[in-house]
Amino acid sequence: MSDNNRNKIDTRAIQSILKENKKQIKLGLTMCAHCSMCAESCFLYMSKDYDPEYMPSYKFLNSIGKLYKKKGKVSNGRLEKMRDLVFENCVLCTRCYCPFGINIPSLITLGRRICRSQGVFREYDK
Amino acid sequence: MIKAKPKPLEEIQNYVESFDRILITGCGGCVSVCLAGGQREVNILKTELALAHSQSNTNKHMDGYTVERQCNSNLIEELDPIVADFDCIISMACGAGVQHLAERYPGKPVFPAVNTIAIGVDLDIGLYEERCRACGECVLAYTGGICPVTRCAKGLFNGPCGGTNGDKCEISNEIDCAWLMIYNRLKEQNRLEDILKIQPPMEWKNQVKRTIIQKGYENRYIDK
Repeated sequence: MSDNNRNKIDTRAIQSILKENKKQIKLGLTMCAHCSMCAESCFLYMSKDYDPEYMPSYKFLNSIGKLYKKKGKVSNGRLEKMRDLVFENCVLCTRCYCPFGINIPSLITLGRRICRSQGVFREYDK
Repeated sequence: MIKAKPKPLEEIQNYVESFDRILITGCGGCVSVCLAGGQREVNILKTELALAHSQSNTNKHMDGYTVERQCNSNLIEELDPIVADFDCIISMACGAGVQHLAERYPGKPVFPAVNTIAIGVDLDIGLYEERCRACGECVLAYTGGICPVTRCAKGLFNGPCGGTNGDKCEISNEIDCAWLMIYNRLKEQNRLEDILKIQPPMEWKNQVKRTIIQKGYENRYIDK
């Protein structure tokens, strides 16, 4: 569960987490209308000059969303990019708001969980 | 952020001595930032405990799992299916996280693996210093942004005390006199009159659990 093993991606472990949360991910992907209303509820988006990479919807669509579409198959490089997105671009303040009721923090948490399951996480002394 | 320090390994070993299946839980919040209880520290503790147990010929099953924040119910939920397989939990979160886990899993002993030290600032990587003791009565507005509770050795709300030894405190030559610092800061800002404003005695509220309800949320949480 917690071994720091960056070279080998355990696709089965990722698929198992995706399967366990399929309903929630699918619902999020289907419901997101790309309305960008979540953007202004994110203080990071507001303080980073409206950088679209900080939009809550961008963060979940390009992490857990992409992973789901690729059926859990991911390269080390892609996983590290995903880490930057879900760890660096989000502080998980859980304040993001979706008018359709998508639980965005929960989807971003799921992205972090998958990263952690592969030993990919934010290191604060680097 | 909250700053913590890992407990000595022997102490943690003593906690879990009588348990065979041990879950080590990390926290992705403050304790990750201060390098005390994140996923990497979970891995290290797991290895150290495994080594200690193998040296004493005791066979224990251990695993590690890090959640994003142990102080948030939604974020510890994912531990539910995992915890059932273990006899006890070691939490590497701050005191709030440990208690939160203990509340959620009342049937499982939860042991702390870190000592929660302070609310502090990052001076450098791995070097932190206390700045706030969460006293609940912030007087920084009158003290030039220098906290007398954490910086004054006597925690005086009204000072200086008369025990100033040069620019140091009378109790130790290594401790700066916080009230001298406050005086100098206020003087620099031309606000020396603030030092004369007497602050009422501190109402130490740490004997009861403090709950924070932000403005605008009163109707939601307080019974009418």
